[in-house]
Amino acid sequence: MLKSSPQQFALRSNLLVVWNEIVKNIKTLLAYPTIIVFWAIFPIFWFIPFILQGQAFVGGLESASFAQLTGSGEYVPFIVIGAILNSYVNTLLFGMGENLRKEAYQGTLDYMLAAPCNKAYVLIGKAISESLSSTIFAISQLAISVLLFGMSITLGVIIPVFFIVILLILGLYGMSLIMAAFSLMYKQSHDLSESIGYIFYIFAPVRYPIESLPTWAQIFGKLIPLTYALIIVRSLMLLGTDLSTVYLEVIALLIIDVALLLAGFYLFSWMEEKTKKSGVISHH
Amino acid sequence: MVFDKEGEVFSIQTINLTKRFAKKKHRGFFGFLRRNQSNNKHNDVTVALDRVNLSIRPGELFGLLGPNGSGKTTTIKCLSTILIPDEGTTLVNGFDISKETSMVRASLGMVVGGERTLYWKLTARDNLMYFASLYKMQRRHAKQRIEELLETFQLSDRADERLEDYSTGMRQKIAIARALLHDPPILLLDEPTLGLDPGFARQIRSQIRELSEKQGKTILLTTHYMDEADQLCDRVAFINNGKIVAVDTPNRLKAMVKERELVEVAVYRPPADIEGHIRSLLPDAEVVKLIPGDEDEGNPSRIKIIGGTAEEQMGTVIDALRQRNVRIGSLNVGVPTLEDVFIKLTGAKLTEGGT
Repeated sequence: MLKSSPQQFALRSNLLVVWNEIVKNIKTLLAYPTIIVFWAIFPIFWFIPFILQGQAFVGGLESASFAQLTGSGEYVPFIVIGAILNSYVNTLLFGMGENLRKEAYQGTLDYMLAAPCNKAYVLIGKAISESLSSTIFAISQLAISVLLFGMSITLGVIIPVFFIVILLILGLYGMSLIMAAFSLMYKQSHDLSESIGYIFYIFAPVRYPIESLPTWAQIFGKLIPLTYALIIVRSLMLLGTDLSTVYLEVIALLIIDVALLLAGFYLFSWMEEKTKKSGVISHH
Repeated sequence: MVFDKEGEVFSIQTINLTKRFAKKKHRGFFGFLRRNQSNNKHNDVTVALDRVNLSIRPGELFGLLGPNGSGKTTTIKCLSTILIPDEGTTLVNGFDISKETSMVRASLGMVVGGERTLYWKLTARDNLMYFASLYKMQRRHAKQRIEELLETFQLSDRADERLEDYSTGMRQKIAIARALLHDPPILLLDEPTLGLDPGFARQIRSQIRELSEKQGKTILLTTHYMDEADQLCDRVAFINNGKIVAVDTPNRLKAMVKERELVEVAVYRPPADIEGHIRSLLPDAEVVKLIPGDEDEGNPSRIKIIGGTAEEQMGTVIDALRQRNVRIGSLNVGVPTLEDVFIKLTGAKLTEGGT
């Protein structure tokens, strides 16, 4: 009989922590049946008002001035991509801090902290479960765009787009660790998440091209991972380019991801230690 | 295991374990302007554990007794690495809690916070499977262990129901099953029967006894139910205001007041100065303590008198109460309990805040 090496055993048990965290969060979510209605219907309301507003302004689904800025006159797919990627920001930034706050409130956080597993894998499981619900949202939004606005999707771009979404999630995971650290210390991170969400919404090209912003705001916007993800995904999906055309943006996104992940892990460990010393770790 | 200088073996040993918390002062919106008014740092600190020394032997069922806020839960949280102590050395199963946290965590199972600390929207089996993964248990082994524990706690037939449909006692059984998942040699049980009806409390106590006697687990049990500690524990430590005031077997502790007779009088609406008045009339009594009751709930206040001769005391107390028009509910001469020992040692009762 083959025996596992200690490394294989460690890897398997760590993956099991991630898996069981995902299963726990999904099962808890599905225990509230109204979430299905939320997933299926709510995405419509996120971007349809902006599309209708655009139609009213330019009198159709294409705009020549918009084409000058973005290279494509069709603004509907532009808005849809912005709304979809921005929904990952919302769920990940809010999700992790709120999830930890809930664990502290019901007393399960103590059991997580007192267990011998590496807490990073619990947090990875939490981030993946939050990303999964964003992905369900994204699929709903895409389906609505295809059915109602005739948006077309080329199958060839799915894999590179998926790759960029993963890179975006990694950067956001770093940010959500920072939110989780604040949640441990201050017992709520909602206001901070909301503020960061608005900063992303204004300075990243969610609803308009980055060129619409003043120069100083464009420089600030280029520190945000969402900016690069939007530029790359729109380039792939709307202009038909490949990843080699936007490699500089991919590298920038990777650098920001690494910086955010390092900052997130460091801050979370530091706050965990600090709250264990001060005794506020179990407060809620 | 930890060996002391005499070669005695301990599963848990704390040497001068100290934990302080900063006091939270609510100074209002502009409080930061008033911050410098208090320069005495000592006034801003609560000493939750004050040089606590405990040595618990393998297989021992050890009780930590004290009123609310005395430091019981803080001790358990320090032992389980949820809190980092400020001073002292603590060894759990031979591992230092500040240096070998993973090994300490793997050696312990804990029940803190009771039935709320589970996921009520998940089934019992899902809950146990989730926590098994946090203890790095492989899937097949975890499944097998979960079946065994559900069988032990007689919950196999309800294992796939959500915990929100369970009773309080059933959820507490799952909380204990969770602590046993990885079969740890040491269990930390913080008020495991709190809020349970007498039937479930009896079942939990018998399971705790079995874990100690048949499985040889070392158990640190905190409670403020004296009878529970008396029935279950091999040894008991009293903790008050973060300090250990006595450690011994329940019988030896009770022997501290056993030679003295105990008189307990149930009274209704006693005047505030009655305790001092009776004390002045009974100079031989070691303890005279008024324990306030809740008359709306049918629990009268109690006056406990330890020491002196019961026969003489009864007459004096009855006369004193009649003079002050205090209604007497009942009068008993009894055997001292652990609570009486605690009162004698600290002047406080176990069901009130620390003195």
